Amino acid sequence: MTEQWRLLQTGFKNAYSNMAIDKAILVANSEGKVPPTVRFYGWDPAAISIGYFQSLVEEVDIQACERFGIDYVRRITGGGAVFHEKELTYSVVVPESHPEMPRNIMQSYARICGAVMRGLHQLGIESEYAPINDIVTAGRKISGNAQTRKLQTVLQHGTVLMDVDVNTMFSLLKVPNEKMKDKLIADVEQRVTSMRHILGKEIRFNEVARAMKIGFEEEFHVELNEGKLRKEELNLAKQFEKESFSTRQWNFRR
Amino acid sequence: MQSHSIYKVPQGKLLKISLEYDEKKNVITDICITGDFFAYPEEAIELLETKLKNITLGRKQLLEKISSIIAEYHIQFIGVNAESFTEGILMCKP
Repeated sequence: MTEQWRLLQTGFKNAYSNMAIDKAILVANSEGKVPPTVRFYGWDPAAISIGYFQSLVEEVDIQACERFGIDYVRRITGGGAVFHEKELTYSVVVPESHPEMPRNIMQSYARICGAVMRGLHQLGIESEYAPINDIVTAGRKISGNAQTRKLQTVLQHGTVLMDVDVNTMFSLLKVPNEKMKDKLIADVEQRVTSMRHILGKEIRFNEVARAMKIGFEEEFHVELNEGKLRKEELNLAKQFEKESFSTRQWNFRR
Repeated sequence: MQSHSIYKVPQGKLLKISLEYDEKKNVITDICITGDFFAYPEEAIELLETKLKNITLGRKQLLEKISSIIAEYHIQFIGVNAESFTEGILMCKP
């Protein structure tokens, strides 16, 4: 019988809640309370997430975020700053010992990115993995990914860009040199793409989620069954949100 | 003396270092390492920062110290390595 994993569709939530839920799933899975889990989600309000090792004040224009009502949050994963707006975000939580999950970190990035690439293929978009942690289509980034390993468990989350607004993004991120800002925006616009850009039309979140579900099922040879967060996970998520992700202490720690 | 550096690691990530050092003794007094790299486990970065205090600001000393911390604590860095940390730290010196 095909192995059954859990699929969570948690809708659109704020940044603290989104990051807290990913961590809660990791903890619950590490304790054997829930099966390997794939989650699809979005962000409301739009938000900036920064990598675990980044400095919030160096990367993010806090005042601009507050003016535009944009959340900001530090992730538990490394990597760079991301503006989450028109995208599908996925997370996947699997024990390190799972036979389908390479022990080697770079290989496991490639494998999980493989699921996203298969999902994109379902939508008629061909892409390739661009190490360390990107997926590109025709040489332009369409997905960024970040992985952590804690409690013998792999958590990887990443974005799949449905549409992209580089101008808005750079009104929220700090740039090293204000004078070079226009050139930087032009450069990034050349290096980033989105489903809308490739397909020439808007695409719905649910359509992307359907495609990504197939991508994960094919890549990991599993069946994804739609489920819910367990009560314990919801409690853990609330705790993580309150104790870390929504606090200044966590977000400004570097 | 306080100083900063930004170093784009070849084939890697962006490394930003804030350094406080004793000019007379040529040793690190405080260091904060930030950037868009990856480390497994993540908490290793705080350990590295702590262990680099009072280390001499020389290429050989830094490289040896950082390599030995990475080996001893089984840290895996992606997008940065002992050489890039060393380079970023030395870039803080005029």
